[in-house]
Amino acid sequence: MRRYVLRRVAIMPLLLLGIVTMVFAVTRLTPANPLVTIVGERNLGNRVVVDAAKRRWGLDRSVPVQYERYVANLTRGDLGTSFRTRQSVGRDLSDRLPATLELTLAALVFGLVSGVGLGIVAARRRDGWIDHLSRLFALVGSSMPAFWAGLLLLYVFYSRLGWLPGPGRLDPRAVTPLRRTGFYTVDSLLAGDWNTFWASVRHLAMPAFVLGWGITGIVSRLTRASLLDELGADYVRTARAMGISERRVVAGHALPNALLPTITIAGFSFAFLITGAVLVETVFSWNGVGSYAVDAARSLDYPAIMGVSLLGGIAFLLTNLLTDLTYALIDPRIRLS
Amino acid sequence: MRAGRARSVRILSGIVAAGLLAAACGGGKSGSSGNNVSAQQALIIARSMDINSLDPQRAYCDTCQIYLTAVYETLLGLDPKDNKTLVPRLATKWSSNSAQTEFTFTLNPKAKFADGKPVTSADVKFSWERLKGLAGSASYLASGIASIATPDARTVVATMTQPNSAFLAQVNASYMGVVEQSVAEAKGATTAAATDKAEKWFLANSAGSGPFTLASYKSGQEVRLKRNAAYWGTKAAFPEVVMKQTADAVTQRQQLEQGAVDIAMQLSTDVAKNMNAKNVTVRKVPSFNYVYLALSPGVKGGEALTPDVRKAIRLALDYKGLLDVTVGGAGRSQPSPIPNGFLGTDGLAPPARDVAQAKRLLAQAGVTKLSLSATYPTLNVYGVDFSTAMQKVQTDLKAVGIELKLNPVEISVWASKIGTDGIPVTALYFAPDHTDPSQYVQYFGLMPGSQWQTWTKAPARPQENQLLNQAFAAKSVNERGALYKQLAQAMMDDGVIIPLVNPDLYLAARSDIKGMHYSACCNLDLSQLSRG
Amino acid sequence: MTATVDSTVLTPSVVNVESRSEQGSRSRRARLPAYIGLVIVVGWTVVAATVPLWSPNDPLAPVGARLLEPSRAHLLGTDALGRDVFTRVLWGTRTSLPVAFVVIVASVALGSLVGAAAGFFGGWVDAVLMRVVDITMAFPPILLAMAITASLGPGIRNALIGMVLVWWPIYARLLAAQVQSVRRRDHVESAVAIGASRWLVLRRYVLPLSYTPVLVNATMDFGQVVLLTASLSFIGLGARPPSPEWGAMITEGATNFYNWWIAAGPGVAILSVVLGFNFLGDALRDRLDVRD
Repeated sequence: MRRYVLRRVAIMPLLLLGIVTMVFAVTRLTPANPLVTIVGERNLGNRVVVDAAKRRWGLDRSVPVQYERYVANLTRGDLGTSFRTRQSVGRDLSDRLPATLELTLAALVFGLVSGVGLGIVAARRRDGWIDHLSRLFALVGSSMPAFWAGLLLLYVFYSRLGWLPGPGRLDPRAVTPLRRTGFYTVDSLLAGDWNTFWASVRHLAMPAFVLGWGITGIVSRLTRASLLDELGADYVRTARAMGISERRVVAGHALPNALLPTITIAGFSFAFLITGAVLVETVFSWNGVGSYAVDAARSLDYPAIMGVSLLGGIAFLLTNLLTDLTYALIDPRIRLS
Repeated sequence: MRAGRARSVRILSGIVAAGLLAAACGGGKSGSSGNNVSAQQALIIARSMDINSLDPQRAYCDTCQIYLTAVYETLLGLDPKDNKTLVPRLATKWSSNSAQTEFTFTLNPKAKFADGKPVTSADVKFSWERLKGLAGSASYLASGIASIATPDARTVVATMTQPNSAFLAQVNASYMGVVEQSVAEAKGATTAAATDKAEKWFLANSAGSGPFTLASYKSGQEVRLKRNAAYWGTKAAFPEVVMKQTADAVTQRQQLEQGAVDIAMQLSTDVAKNMNAKNVTVRKVPSFNYVYLALSPGVKGGEALTPDVRKAIRLALDYKGLLDVTVGGAGRSQPSPIPNGFLGTDGLAPPARDVAQAKRLLAQAGVTKLSLSATYPTLNVYGVDFSTAMQKVQTDLKAVGIELKLNPVEISVWASKIGTDGIPVTALYFAPDHTDPSQYVQYFGLMPGSQWQTWTKAPARPQENQLLNQAFAAKSVNERGALYKQLAQAMMDDGVIIPLVNPDLYLAARSDIKGMHYSACCNLDLSQLSRG
Repeated sequence: MTATVDSTVLTPSVVNVESRSEQGSRSRRARLPAYIGLVIVVGWTVVAATVPLWSPNDPLAPVGARLLEPSRAHLLGTDALGRDVFTRVLWGTRTSLPVAFVVIVASVALGSLVGAAAGFFGGWVDAVLMRVVDITMAFPPILLAMAITASLGPGIRNALIGMVLVWWPIYARLLAAQVQSVRRRDHVESAVAIGASRWLVLRRYVLPLSYTPVLVNATMDFGQVVLLTASLSFIGLGARPPSPEWGAMITEGATNFYNWWIAAGPGVAILSVVLGFNFLGDALRDRLDVRD
């Protein structure tokens, strides 16, 4: 087991280098010209300006030299400076990561809680209307284009009804809480500012719902299935025969066992959440890594594209590892080798 | 028993269904405190920001103009009443020699930076030399300066490499603002691109003499300005001004309606229409920005674009229809590449559609089946969506028998293509940096080596260069006006640049906001604004 | 319960959720959704194939005033250029479905090739190929597709290339696993032992057994590719205007937020296509029982 973990961790830098190489190759070997992002289209013919920009951003060197430099800087932890924000990419990412984490965690919590709840209800009322309804809800959630769902909710709950706040993490006039974790919900609580806390929760509601909906679907179907299995198991039948109340049978015996596979799914949801976050952040003007990635891709901001890709890769590899480990811990039959 | 189970189930499903969403909905109307904002509260501007730097000698963008005007001061200002007359700012007096090669400015002795130190001629020299030396995007404004002399702390003498009657207007451009040399140098600023290291510092700090200072900047989120308490002139009314990143016009409108923000300047006609006008004032003002079509006869695929064909294309376009589909009619047609309202544009005939004449010209030229490829950037600037505009152009050209194939691309791809092979038909936009028409001639004229002469590969027209040099050396405004009118006419005759739409600008604000003006040099002057 | 999860591309359709007790009875219950899925998929395919013959309007030309509300003449109103939204939604199938089809077919072909090679040759070939697969999969799909599409330049063709590069590893892994499991079977081992060529073994024993899981996966992924195409277009990296693509139409709807009908049609269209393929894939999985 320990050897397995070590090997998985040891191979990570190699995979990351692979990612770097691939993204580098893809972005550099194409006909697009990032200079327009740097100097603006009006100066493209201005020799002095263009040459200075090329020199400054290292674009005057050959691609292999650029690659070598990038990797060398990377080993020192330097992700380079963004063409667009003129800040170090590392700082840009750390500025924006909490926003994305807060959103995805909220979505995950929403997805798990509502998914487990729906799953239990569906299992208890198997083949009843609520079971069918939850199945439909799950399916629609996983088939729904997240950006469209976001627009729809904004139109109804913000524009028409005015029940929920619009895009952004807080109202424009609000003062952002002092940064400790970067999570507005947590930071405002730490500052004892209940109004800001409530405002940030209200701003989270729609994007987290849109993002978590897909998870709700998976989790509810999983919970339902495993709960049905557990309820059909011998020990449950025994417990029932002993006259233990159905409620206690479900809550005390079947559910804990049924939840194990459900919990592991949380890790798997990561890819789903990342994909969703890119789109949901765009729709809800959420200043996170997802919208940063979109801006970087559109303006061909090389260092930023590389940074986002690396961050995504690391997060992805780590969650995969964690999920595999959790699986192994829960199910001793799985041998990691 | 069953009832108990049902209840537990119901409770759970209640938690689930109600959950986050319903709980958060419970709070009633979304928080907007617009109606009881006190006069001393911060001014909030909703804006889709394009900031590429906050370093006064590197920045180059529309939002940068607003920021730089608020934080750094130029020697000359622009009278908000006519957008033409130069007025004193850091300089009290200015003059030029008769050859228009030497400009002398006298600084206001009262002028001082936010830290209390006086603004000296050395600061001006440093700032302009740094602008030129860093070779940033706005450096062309200072590239004509040969040397700067500072005979004393209050006098600046700038010598040009050649006559430049536009220099005073250029000095008025927000990018020519003055930075405090001692502070900037302490943070690594120099006047050479290779050694300067101050750009990152400027993202979090400022060193200017303007009515505001930079409090904080979060890219992609907000620019927060603080009133300069030690400002040497009339202090700003607002203690704090915040520009909030608000990407789309719809959100800008909604936040303005709710009072969540005070100003929104990027509303499109469709969005501004049917606006809930309670407590909101929307004004439509002419702008100097425009979107144009460019025809490149010298590039591959553009061989058919002879002068007659270009003229036919110009006649084939339905200018009024273009205005309608792009900006809902809120704008103007513009005859020459020098926009309406600039020197030399009085009396130019607005472009008109004449399909019959266009067809005749094409027939005379022997053009029967013409197919052109239009590669253009997918931009949406000043409310004009390029794809919308180009689809209208496509429709109009079809009516005279020219087939236009549209190939919309991201601007980085566009830049690469136009810089190498060139593009037969394309579209782009222009917004002025200052009030002198020379910037248009230098960019659009077919003078040898100008940007569009290079891109279109059209035969160079040295006579335009001669006219411009005459204008640069001209002594009186009337003389310059006459020359620029000739130039405007010459560029219209060139027929490579065809302005499509000159959109109006919507200035939308809460009704209690006073002092909103659109400025040709500086976009929006924050120090003029007040509440009450 | 059987929770088979593909840890890299987690879409709800990839997670097979079913309780043991229901596995027999499921096929009966699943029939209705399967039919619904079939009707949706066939319906949209027919629209895609025939719409030029009966299209109510020209999808690219203005046919009325701008931003008209839905009416009998324009079932889903008109957009900012006065084009008929309903017509454009119908024509949208001619982008989404062929793109998804090409992406899936190309990914299956490429992935199968790589996967079969890796699984069959083993050794360093397997190691190298599988590391390439790992690298590609160690990447949130949308980020990779975005990076590729952005640098190739936005456009539906480049989006297509990007998506194939994102999708093929899934099939490579699927095939590699399949090959390995088949190779261990007795009759295959004996075939190899008596000197059957690798190619023969691959063709005769491995590939036939792989058809089913690939088919099920491909059906389920079809909807996901439609979704990703629309997503890329929505953020401006896919189809370019004026082509009627659903994701790009939703972007237009977002800029004309108050004219809700512009985004409503394409949204429902995407939803229905994805749902249809999910239903269909579900049913196929039950019918073909690919769980072992």
